[in-house]
Amino acid sequence: MTICVRSVTKTYSRGRQSITALQNVSFEIAEGELVLLVGPSGSGKTTLLNLIAALDRPDRGEISVGGLNVTGLSRSAAAAYRNERVGMIFQSYNLLPQLTALENILLPLVPAGRPNRRRAMELLEAVGLGDRAAHRPSELSGGEQQRVAIARALVNDPALILADEPIGNLDDKDARAKSSLCCRMRAAGGARPCSSSPTTAR
Amino acid sequence: MIWAKLVFGGFGRRGLEAVIAFGVLVLAAAIVTGSLMVVEGAREAIARAAEADRPDVVQVKSRFNRAVFETPRSGNLPPLTLPVYEPLIDPAKLADAGATVLARQSFLRNVVSGDSFLNIYIFGIAPEEEAQVSTFVVGRGRFLRSDDGPVAVLDRASAQALGVDLGGTFPVRKADGQDITLTVVGILDQLELRYPPPRTVDAPALRPGSSSVTSGVFVTLRTSEEIFGRPTLTDALVVARTADNVPAVVERLREAFRLEPGVFVSESYSRFRRKVQDFVLTLALFTAIAAATAGLAGSFGANLLHDVYADRRRQYATLLAIGFRPTQSAIASSGFGLATAGAAAVVGSLLAVAFAPRHFAMPSLLAELGTIEPSFNAWIVAVLAGMALAIFALGIAPTAWQLHRRSVAVNLSQERG
Repeated sequence: MTICVRSVTKTYSRGRQSITALQNVSFEIAEGELVLLVGPSGSGKTTLLNLIAALDRPDRGEISVGGLNVTGLSRSAAAAYRNERVGMIFQSYNLLPQLTALENILLPLVPAGRPNRRRAMELLEAVGLGDRAAHRPSELSGGEQQRVAIARALVNDPALILADEPIGNLDDKDARAKSSLCCRMRAAGGARPCSSSPTTAR
Repeated sequence: MIWAKLVFGGFGRRGLEAVIAFGVLVLAAAIVTGSLMVVEGAREAIARAAEADRPDVVQVKSRFNRAVFETPRSGNLPPLTLPVYEPLIDPAKLADAGATVLARQSFLRNVVSGDSFLNIYIFGIAPEEEAQVSTFVVGRGRFLRSDDGPVAVLDRASAQALGVDLGGTFPVRKADGQDITLTVVGILDQLELRYPPPRTVDAPALRPGSSSVTSGVFVTLRTSEEIFGRPTLTDALVVARTADNVPAVVERLREAFRLEPGVFVSESYSRFRRKVQDFVLTLALFTAIAAATAGLAGSFGANLLHDVYADRRRQYATLLAIGFRPTQSAIASSGFGLATAGAAAVVGSLLAVAFAPRHFAMPSLLAELGTIEPSFNAWIVAVLAGMALAIFALGIAPTAWQLHRRSVAVNLSQERG
């Protein structure tokens, strides 16, 4: 699934001040590529991932994913696009505090009405949290929450994984393990750009 | 289970506010329900009073005067002078009122019964129209029809006094001195004549102690004119389209009978209006209590719900971000508010229904309308549903507006409220 970003510009307004997060950005990512976005804080990595995930709209330019123009989607169509094609790992995890780790992983399967507990449990075990299925996010460490977020992004077998600082909160050992998980995801096929800090990229 | 947790879980420190909001809304719903039940009960009391008093009916009657009654078929009994209505009302003048006219010829006759004489009240009426304002409960036979000839319907007391039964006959002396024979076609079990004439002589009565006529013989106007020998009326009822039209109808009738000093026009509307005025004020008070409670407690509850919703903006955005459709996300994030307001309305109304008095009397002036029986009906349900929806809408509106205005990414990046 190819990602084409053409002449994308995004500006945020804060009061009277305008901050240009992206200016005339163009690139293309071929299917199966693993891409790391590297840049200092505030360079627009998260903004770019949000635009590709159709969580926001660019001021100018166009983004197409697998031939689908995601910049003009309605909220409903954008939600369907994310549910069917995208696995998103957020920088701040965005786990729901009232759900257990297992239920958080199952969440992307709920809209379609097909929660597959076995698949969720497999992923939970794959990220090394098989014994923490019934724990709520508040009972998990930052690194464990991040691993739950990774498992949640993978549960509906997305063609595209967008990971915002996916291993930023993990220790060296866990970071290596998760990097290897990313490589395994790449081997399974599909384009998978990741946004990360320079440290993570190294 | 996940849906239940999405809707009702994750309140965090806002849980207490949600519980307080529920309590406040229960209290508000109970007060609103109680007040509205009193209002509804009072409205029913007014409706009952209006049904009983019929303020829309205007009475036109001739003067009450003494008339000489010959005792029929007897030369050794002295003539009697008995008070009766004089037949002074020209039916054509009643038409000027612009309202429904119920013409009546009410008079007294001596009727032979076995070896004695009876004083019997005879009423010439328009059967269909009269039945709309007076109560006639037919026990046997049938009621009068407007095309009936010399037939009569009479109540049990008069039938017993006359010694007649269904199908029987009895003679009535006409104005020309001849007798007319009336055939009984119906016996009344119950009789409530609207504006009956005063009972001034010894005559059969269904309620013996009453100062009004409670028993009599009913014939059609055509038959009564034949007995009476003239078309003028002794009294009549004029029914206005609505009670509020009564003053205008009375004005027109007084103008029509301006030159007839023996004809009087009277109405009960003014008295009824005075009677219900305090009642209406009481209703307004309870309605104001209901509205003020709904407004104050509702806005307080809505404000508490708003705090909870503000905390849930991130959940809504998260669900959208992982692929929930907007409607699914909205249900998951806002359902608890609807459930809270709805459950509070149900619990509050049940409490009000359970603890409201079954009936109570209003003080002093209002007591004239009888006891109030608070009642719960569909209108109150609609008001409570509207209140619950309004509180829900008020609570969620700022959050919904913010979610609509901002992109999912911006809503996701918002800190918890």
